[in-house]
Amino acid sequence: MKRILSQCIKELAQFRRDRLTLALAFILPFATLLIFGFAIRLEAKDIPLIVQDFDRTNLSNRYIETLYATNQFKPVAWDINASPQIALDRSLAKAVVIIPPNFSQHINGEKQTEVQVLVDGTDANNARVIKNGLKATTNAFMRSQSLLPKTNPIATLTRLWFNPGRKESLSIVPGTFAVVLWIFPSLLAAIAMVREKEKGTILQVYASSLSAEELILGKAAAYWVVAIGMALLVMGGGAVIFGLSFAGDPTPFLLGTIIYLWTSTMFGMMIGSRVSNQNAAVQAVSLVGFLTSFLLSGFIYPLSNIPFPLSLIPNVVPARYFIEITRDAFVRGVGWSSVWLSVVMIFLLSMVFFNVARKALGRMQLSE
Amino acid sequence: MNSPEINSPAPVIQVVGLTKNYGNFTAVHGIDFEVYPGEIFGLIGPDGAGKTTTFHILGGVMEASGGAIDILGKPPRNARLSLGYLTQQFSLYLDLSIDENLTYSAGLHQVPELEFNQRRSKYLQLMGLNSIGDRLAGQLSGGMKQKLALCCALVSQPQILLLDEPTTGVDPVSRREFWDVLAALADEGMTIVVATPYLDEAERCNRIALMYEGKISEIGTLKQLRSNLGLQRLELRTKELVETEKILLAAAQDKTSGIADVQTFGDRIDVLVRDATRDSVKVREILNKQHLTITSLETSDVTLENVFVTRLRQQGSEPAFIEFPRLKPGRSASVGASDVAIGARNLRKVFGSFQAVKNVDLEIRYGEIYGLLGANGAGKTTTIKILCGLLEASSGEMLLGGRSQNLRDASIRQRIGYMSQKFTLYDDLSVVENLEFYCGVYGVPQKIRRTKIDWVLETCGLTGQEKMLTGKLPGGWKQRVAFGASVMHEPEILFLDEPTSGVDPLARRQFWRLINDFARQGTAVLVTTHYLEEAEQCNRMGFMVAGEVVLQGSPSEVKASQPGQLIELKVDRTQQASNLLKHHLEVWRVSIFGDRLHVVLDDPDHDLPSVVDILAQSKIQTYSTRPIPFSLEDVFISVVQRTESGTSHSAT
Repeated sequence: MKRILSQCIKELAQFRRDRLTLALAFILPFATLLIFGFAIRLEAKDIPLIVQDFDRTNLSNRYIETLYATNQFKPVAWDINASPQIALDRSLAKAVVIIPPNFSQHINGEKQTEVQVLVDGTDANNARVIKNGLKATTNAFMRSQSLLPKTNPIATLTRLWFNPGRKESLSIVPGTFAVVLWIFPSLLAAIAMVREKEKGTILQVYASSLSAEELILGKAAAYWVVAIGMALLVMGGGAVIFGLSFAGDPTPFLLGTIIYLWTSTMFGMMIGSRVSNQNAAVQAVSLVGFLTSFLLSGFIYPLSNIPFPLSLIPNVVPARYFIEITRDAFVRGVGWSSVWLSVVMIFLLSMVFFNVARKALGRMQLSE
Repeated sequence: MNSPEINSPAPVIQVVGLTKNYGNFTAVHGIDFEVYPGEIFGLIGPDGAGKTTTFHILGGVMEASGGAIDILGKPPRNARLSLGYLTQQFSLYLDLSIDENLTYSAGLHQVPELEFNQRRSKYLQLMGLNSIGDRLAGQLSGGMKQKLALCCALVSQPQILLLDEPTTGVDPVSRREFWDVLAALADEGMTIVVATPYLDEAERCNRIALMYEGKISEIGTLKQLRSNLGLQRLELRTKELVETEKILLAAAQDKTSGIADVQTFGDRIDVLVRDATRDSVKVREILNKQHLTITSLETSDVTLENVFVTRLRQQGSEPAFIEFPRLKPGRSASVGASDVAIGARNLRKVFGSFQAVKNVDLEIRYGEIYGLLGANGAGKTTTIKILCGLLEASSGEMLLGGRSQNLRDASIRQRIGYMSQKFTLYDDLSVVENLEFYCGVYGVPQKIRRTKIDWVLETCGLTGQEKMLTGKLPGGWKQRVAFGASVMHEPEILFLDEPTSGVDPLARRQFWRLINDFARQGTAVLVTTHYLEEAEQCNRMGFMVAGEVVLQGSPSEVKASQPGQLIELKVDRTQQASNLLKHHLEVWRVSIFGDRLHVVLDDPDHDLPSVVDILAQSKIQTYSTRPIPFSLEDVFISVVQRTESGTSHSAT
């Protein structure tokens, strides 16, 4: 125990002296939080939309107003005689609505009228959002003009159970916590481990009777402390800037975070004990870390979208469990009953990483 | 100190048939040795002899492939807590302070708080580091770093110290202090196993093992090794070095001549002979026949270097000397060979408020080898950088190859070769790619590149391995390739900044033969080195202390300029005698060499009786005293010490 402590104290002293690691621990994570927090917006807003109105009646005007009233679309001025195709080609607009000359005439005559809609399909997902948006707005317009039958056979009454305001930051920012607090603690831990190998100081450790467990635990403990500091900064800052507050019992989140940080440093230890230079360590940690915590964690894309056998990977990605915990803490607020398994899984994964690292260091001797 | 032959106590380290294989390559071939308590046991050998592997295994950080190793009755791994191990690279955390390094080391070895505090102050005191505990290790000089590393190894109070080349890259003054500490520790009963490339240091060991290609070829005390060799050394001084060498080398080919080896130094030739009295007559005869005059011919002990080189030669491992394929005529053939090649007057360099170089005057002629000697940070490298135009001087006049302006001009650079302290080769290129690159940089004509590159490869013994990545070469080999790369364009002026650091003695000899060959062809050579034994190879030398050249001259002149006399004392308790005398005399005047004591006395006729008196008062018996010649190291240390204490001397 005393040796773990002295290992830990030494690591902290070294950490304090190194500007690069200090930046890695505090400045970069915070910067990443801001970039992710502000830049990632999945909801489509302010889509440039051109409306060519050949009808020019009150009715067509009202239809156009409805389209723009949603905030989803923003108007783009376009000469009525110019071909709307050019606007799409030049990416001046993502969608064009063309109202035919006999629009109001047909509606008033209770005949079907056809409004032409052109949507830029380059981004398939966005195209679908635009298409649905236009359809929904058109429906709303028809309802307001009493153009729909009075009685619907089925009426869906939707209520958003969590996050009623559909505040996007509530899902993006906690996800960012998971990514940032995965990558940086493990990066620091891996560098600390590899640096000893590169400088040759690891021989001193081998020559003492310090065991692999003591070495790993001592180093991990030091970077765990650093990671907790990092978490306070990132989460505190995130909560203030993006206005997060707990939706329910915060204990699963607090405990989960502490364990998650431990798992992250352990992951760094595992990589650090297996590679032999800083370059390899940085690449391995950031590449693996980014890919898994960003793409295979359910942060951006729903896990259910991942096809088999890739879909098996998220089961061993701690960030995936942590994202579940954060979403529960800030959005759902259900508490322990919903996320206890995630907390347990994160802890189990830390044990796996620890064991791999321990095996890699083996008998604390030079390999051939 | 214990003498194992007399008491034969149980050995603390016993190695039988130790073998280590790396894949197909066998690094250590079944070596046997024993180390006794309180002994300083030296392991010397060329690069790649298997010394570091042996240390790794003794230190318990690597598994042996075969053999039995017993340390304090245990396998090495289980004995780790009783071992202190200084690895070849600095075994310190450079970003931690002295105190933090010590505390960490104590924590690793579970040293109780109270004992730690006692030992810390004791050892820091011993090493002279006690007042700067919060300084970062990275800010210490090379010598201080190694002393601190030793402190870290000592806080756990190990019974055995393993030191793998602890003084490589450390300046002579610090090295001597380091060895004084080792002697003091051995006297307290600590057992020390040490590897070193400095053979003058190895002479301070109680017993020495010569290791070569994974085998130990000989073990014994310095005296035993010398007498086993069965040779004696003649120091021959003459004005006609080159001619004399040629004739003696020819004579050495004849087995009946009794001449075993001829080695040329800056102003003398060493001849190894079987029988000093008989063969010195013979040597005189041979030279008289050729009408060569001998200034003096003295008989001396063989050095450990002689033993080492002769033994390795017998193993047939001497690197080949191959004549440099020269295209331009040597400068000695042309007129004005004795022109000044490198000149400096009142050269000064100031970095901020720090004066790195103070009023340096130098004059080096074509065909001359000039050695610039000094401790780390004395300003040697800065001076070289200024002289070859890499750095602007703050003030002063300079002359380089007949020019005093535009020293970075391409035409002048073409005539200069520069080998810097740090490796100048690209680690991720193969050997031959590196050489091709330098051929291109220096504009070696395409059609003769192959000849030059082949010469470098052959000289380095790398023929057939030219595709090897340079990064994989051992340090000593890299240095040789780097040297080759810096001379391929046949420079007239050669700057060598510590060319032989980390190079083993045999390869160092080859290095110096090459350097000598260049000098004889008229190249001016400016060289810095930490190995004072090899500084003897220089024609002239300058000692730098704190940015000033405080002493200049040929090796003999420099030694003769030393005031006082070096006295070798044989006493019954060497360590106590040393402690006592250090109390009465200035500390630098006294040092221990194996079982003997070296003392510098200004006036031996007057001072020696009182020294013997002081010893007698403490019941230390003096067996014998004799005056011995100063080595360059002695001169160096006393010059540095005297300068630092404010009394400067000048020889010329």
